[in-house]
Formats: sequence, C-alpha cells, structure tokens
Amino acid sequence: MTEPTRASATTANSSEIDQSLYEQRQKIYPREVHGTFAALRVAAVLVLLGLFYGVPWLRWDGHQAVLFDLPARKFYIFGLTFWPQDFLLLTLLMMLAALSLFFFTALAGRVWCGYACPQTVWTEVFLWMERHIEGSRQQRQKLDQAPWSARKLRIKATKQLVWITFSLLTGFTFVAFFTPAQTLLAKTLAFELGPWETFWMLFYAFATYGNAGFLREQVCKYMCPYARFQSAMFDNDTLIVSYDKARGEPRGSRRSGVAPQSVGLGDCINCTMCVQVCPTGIDIRDGLQYECISCSACVDVCDDVMQKMNYPPGLIRYTTQHALEGKPSRILRPRIVIYSALLASVAGLFLYLLFDRSPLALDIIRDRNQLYRERGGLIENVYTLKVLNLSEQPRRFAITAAGIPGLGLLGAEDPIVVAGGAVQEVPMVLSASESALEARSTTVRFTLRALDDDAATITEDAKFLGPLP
Amino acid sequence: MEFLAKTRWMPVPQRFGAVIWLSFMTAGAATGVFFSILDPDDLRHCVPFPEVSRTAAYSIGFLLFWLLTAASALLAVTFTYPANPDAAIDPDD
Repeated sequence: MTEPTRASATTANSSEIDQSLYEQRQKIYPREVHGTFAALRVAAVLVLLGLFYGVPWLRWDGHQAVLFDLPARKFYIFGLTFWPQDFLLLTLLMMLAALSLFFFTALAGRVWCGYACPQTVWTEVFLWMERHIEGSRQQRQKLDQAPWSARKLRIKATKQLVWITFSLLTGFTFVAFFTPAQTLLAKTLAFELGPWETFWMLFYAFATYGNAGFLREQVCKYMCPYARFQSAMFDNDTLIVSYDKARGEPRGSRRSGVAPQSVGLGDCINCTMCVQVCPTGIDIRDGLQYECISCSACVDVCDDVMQKMNYPPGLIRYTTQHALEGKPSRILRPRIVIYSALLASVAGLFLYLLFDRSPLALDIIRDRNQLYRERGGLIENVYTLKVLNLSEQPRRFAITAAGIPGLGLLGAEDPIVVAGGAVQEVPMVLSASESALEARSTTVRFTLRALDDDAATITEDAKFLGPLP
Repeated sequence: MEFLAKTRWMPVPQRFGAVIWLSFMTAGAATGVFFSILDPDDLRHCVPFPEVSRTAAYSIGFLLFWLLTAASALLAVTFTYPANPDAAIDPDD
C-alpha cells in the first residue's frame, strides 16, 4: 500500500487516482437541501419530467404531437413533418444544441449540469424516492451499515420495487416517442408488444435504473464527455459556485452567535454541511473542481448555516473568479460575442432551410435483377420511382424523362396521385432504340412536376444501361 | 493482476464509460446518418437483405454499429495501458 510519506511528494491529482484504484468507491449519501436553488432545481425537474412523460399523450391534427415514426421514416413535431431528406436540419439542430451549451457554459458555468441534464433530473427523482423510503442521510447510512434483518429487507425491497416500476414507466415513455403511446399502452396491457419494443423498453428502463439509481455521480465523473471539456469554455468571468476563502478562513467551530473576529476565525464554522449535501462528494472549500456540477446545494445549505449563526449569507455563492479577486466582472467578452454570433447564424440558417423545404421529393431505384432488356427492337430499363408528397394535402404530379433522343416512358399512370405526407411507389419503364445510345451507360434526367404549382418541380438523375455499342 | 492495481491506469467505472457509453453515442450518430441516407426497405433491392421490419433493421443496425464502436473503444482503452507496465509502476510502491 501507499505510504503516507509519498502522498506529500505527489500531486493532489495523482493521489486521488491512487485512491480510486486502491479503495472501493465511497457511497455518497447526499443530505436533503432546502433553499432557493433547490426549489429552482425541483421546478426544473418537474417541468422537464412533466414534458418527458406528458408529451407522448398530446395530439395534433389527428396524429401524436411528437412522434418519431421510424417505421414510416417520418418525424412529427407538432405541425411540422420531417423526412430523411431533412437530415441536414437535424444536423443543424445538433449544432445549435452544442453551441447553446457552449454559450451558456461561458456565461453561467455548468447550469446545464445542475438543473437540466437528464442525469441530474432522474437522479434527483431516484434520490427523492430513496429519501421517502429509507429516510434521511443518517438513517440511510445506518440502514446500510446494519446487518440484514426483516426490516432492512422490507425497506430495501420496497425501494427496489418503486425504482424498477418507475424505470419501466420511463422505458415505456421512451418507446412511446417512437410507437404511438395509445397503441403502445393497449399492446402492453394485452402483452402483445413486439420483440424490439420490448427490448428498447427494457433497455431504457435498465439504463435509467443503472444511471440514476446505481452509477449516479460516477456518470458525471467518469462517463460524461461534457464534464471533461467544459472547463475550456470557462474564463475568469464565468459564473461558478465558489467558497469565499478570504472570508471563510481560518475555519473553525464556535458557539452560535459568536463574532468571528473575537475568536480569531473566519466565517466558516467547519460544520461540513457543504460536504454532506454534495451529490458528487467533494469539498467545495478546496476550490473549483471538475467534479462540481454547479448544483449549488452547498450554497443553499451554507446560507442556512450563516443565517443560524447570524452571519451574512454568501460564504459559498455563485460568483466569478474576477469578483472573488475584487475585480469587476464583465458579461460581454470576446468568447460570448463569438458564441452568440455562431448561435445566431446557425439558428438563422436552420430557420431559413426549415421554411424553404421543397414540398416534394423523388427517389429513383434501378431494377437490379436485369441491367436491361430488349423488347420489340428497343432497349428497356426498369425503375421504381418513389414520389414523396411532403405537403399535408393530396397532390397530382406529372413525370417526364429526357437525355436520349426518342426516349419513351411507359407504365406511369397520368397523373400520379399521392396522398398528403405519403410516399407513392411508381414502377416505370424507359425505352430507347439501340442506335440512339452512344455508350453503355447514359444519364437520364427525370422531372417531377406538381400539376397545381409550376414552381414545385424536382429533377433526379438515373442511369440508363444498354448493350456495348 | 497485481501490476494492474499498481499502475496508474483509469478506474474501472472510467474504463466502463470509455468503452460502453462513448461507443453508444457514436453508434447512435452512425445509425442516424446511415439510415437517413439508406432505407432498409430499399437495401433489399440492391443486396441480399433479410426480410425484417424497418424497426428491426434499425435496431439490429444500431446494435451492430455499437458492437463495432465498442470493439474499437475496447482496443483503444486497452492500448492506453502502458506497454511496459514495469516501467510505469510508481517507483515508491
């Protein structure tokens, strides 16, 4: 084992790594917190989980308001319908999400982690259930240390039952974003779920249980990529949760109401409440640490203690490095300006593309079974056209093809009628005389035109194959 | 396995996260890109492709991508382990 002498010779960081290698992970029993920021987090949890569990039950224009209908390759988000063609929009949306994360991190630190991250939100709910079943921090610690008894078994079994039920409900809701919720509920109650629905429901339930019930702060410490790079967005004007060392030190216990100066101490009474409430088990008084998810539980609990001691609040508070050093904090900095400019341009591009989407699309698939066939002295190629009507109303289309002199087009009904938001497969044969073909492969261009709107036109190229000339 | 404990390598949860979780995310992204370009129902026109529903095709596709990304993550994590563990052992241990 490591000798105490070498701990002093190594950095704090490497001794921490040693600890996690040598020691079992210390289970963390976060103490319950009340206060402004705790209330804010509870509000965020209620709103976000309310959205997650509620949204699949909302209806819009005869379909589920938010439905990622993978079997039909269509995403419904309220009045908008997205198709695989809109993949660029999804990419832009992801970029928007990432840039917003950067922007808010530069501005206000890890607000995402503390209030909105699913890991925080679900851990909060799992902790809430644990607290109601197993009791306070001390009661939970005592229960875990106690030998197994009928009482312990009953309490632990109740907790597991509640956790597993909640996880399954979460898994169900997750799948309800992909399979209509009402159908899914009926199928679940009748035990008629498909194998993949069952698989994803259990998978998501297991992930929820594992992450929020079991792994908890380890997800933030070891698994989260954002936790690793968020510090790159930080500067001296970023909002952080910080202990005011100048005011708190030297720390020490004293009787309530004693003025700190009279006993030669700082404001910190070393009650360790800030450590007890910390969901990641760190001591905020050691300075800014990557484990800190800015949940500000320590801010709330320390303010309570300060009030009881009749000291001013804010020994641990949201502040900036500059403010701690007595310098003015600036909101408008180059990085804020750059992130906002990027955010605005990507958002602009997203909105422009969103409202500029073509209302029709055309996919052409060549028949692979035969390269070409000869009939009546003509060379024929067989295609399947997929006509996508991306508008909500039924539409009539005309199709033409060009690229070879005397090109004939057979098989398409005229006009092609496609229902709103539907895909119509149209088998089609192109024919050309062998003498008109200059090469083995010729590019032909299909043009699809909506009969009610001359502007709604789309072209798509395909290959026409023939014998070697 | 004594040297494993003595070498400053990542803790088990970190290794787990690096292999399982990061590969899950990249596999998710790959599945999204792949199937937004290719419809499993169309694949059947071009290559021998099993007669399965789209949901099954997406799910199996994702799991295969995950297998691939997890395999590469597993190799990457394994390769972060010092090639010469004796040299990497802290001399004070």
